[in-house]
Amino acid sequence: MTSPNAETEALLIAKAQTGDRDSFGELVRCHHSGVVNVVYRMCGDVELAEDAAQDAFIQAWLHLPSFRPGTSLRNWIYRIAVNAALDVLRRDPKTPLLDLETLSTPDSSAGPETVLLEKERAFAVQRAILSLSEANRSVLTLREYGGLSYQEIAATLNIPLGTVMSRLNYARDRLKELLASQLMDTEIANG
Amino acid sequence: MVKHITPWLNAYLDGELSAAQLRQVEKHLAECDECQAELEQMRSLSALLHETAPTEDFLSTERFVSNLTLNLPRRPEHSQPRKALEIGWWLILVGALAVWLFFQITFSLSSVVLNISETGLLGNGLPWLQGDSSQTRWFSLAMDLFGGQLGFTGKLILSAFNDLSLFIRDMTSRFILQALFATLYLGWLASWWRRLSDHASPASAVPQS
Repeated sequence: MTSPNAETEALLIAKAQTGDRDSFGELVRCHHSGVVNVVYRMCGDVELAEDAAQDAFIQAWLHLPSFRPGTSLRNWIYRIAVNAALDVLRRDPKTPLLDLETLSTPDSSAGPETVLLEKERAFAVQRAILSLSEANRSVLTLREYGGLSYQEIAATLNIPLGTVMSRLNYARDRLKELLASQLMDTEIANG
Repeated sequence: MVKHITPWLNAYLDGELSAAQLRQVEKHLAECDECQAELEQMRSLSALLHETAPTEDFLSTERFVSNLTLNLPRRPEHSQPRKALEIGWWLILVGALAVWLFFQITFSLSSVVLNISETGLLGNGLPWLQGDSSQTRWFSLAMDLFGGQLGFTGKLILSAFNDLSLFIRDMTSRFILQALFATLYLGWLASWWRRLSDHASPASAVPQS
């Protein structure tokens, strides 16, 4: 679902702050897919990501009265989501145990061999992301999957802009090393 | 030797460069095969990262919202202790100001009464007020010991030193009192500011690397 315009969102926030659950539900609808995308990349597991997303929205609900109107709700929720994902990972040390079976592929009509290859790529990508430190992963996830600008990431994670850039550079360099063979396949496929 | 622009490529790819930087990078890219190859690799990485999104494995937004709405806990209403805390913070400020006012008024009144008393208007009704407050202990002792031997000029000099001592004593005690109140007030202000900042940020912070 796309984000509502600023005025509508401000109205929903104001209502939700006074305890209106329906308005909060509307806000959740708007930010659900973004949050899920971010927490999944942080956790690397669908079930844990669902838990983290739920925790994040519950935390957002509980702390909404202290949310300052005029600031970005998306950044605020993403910050809570990143923290919720990290909490879930700490709470459940069994992760990150990636399972090929749980990874889906974009094209379900493809042949079994292609499906397996796609799953292996998805597995490699997720494993590479999970191998990054929490700090670097948070920045990469917010940029790649949250679509936040550098300035927004800096504000969301409370770090300087220069740190955002250096962490992102480091994370991408590291991913390029870890995913070298997959990148080669992509480049070959793209001609 | 060609200076590559590798450190700028991430920001270029993310659309985070200023107009001037963008022109510079594009100019360099048009001439440098190495940086072009690096950029292509970064584009491939970005595509690879977005290739596999397991969205179909997650609960649909509608189901998620329904489940969440059912599970939303009761929000702790701006609870009584918190309200008390809110009022308490203001009471501290008001209390500090009240104490400061009390001391100021007391000092001022006592100065007025002392001055009146020194003029003799109050007669001998308030001898305890006069006491030795206009004389330091060393001055009284010096006068007892050498008062008879000192001439007018000597007594005048000694008296001037006595006044100076009294002045310094009063100023010091007042300064300490003012500094104490200033510290208390600034401390309160800092705590209040910190509390406001805490309010504005979510539950926990992301750990630094």
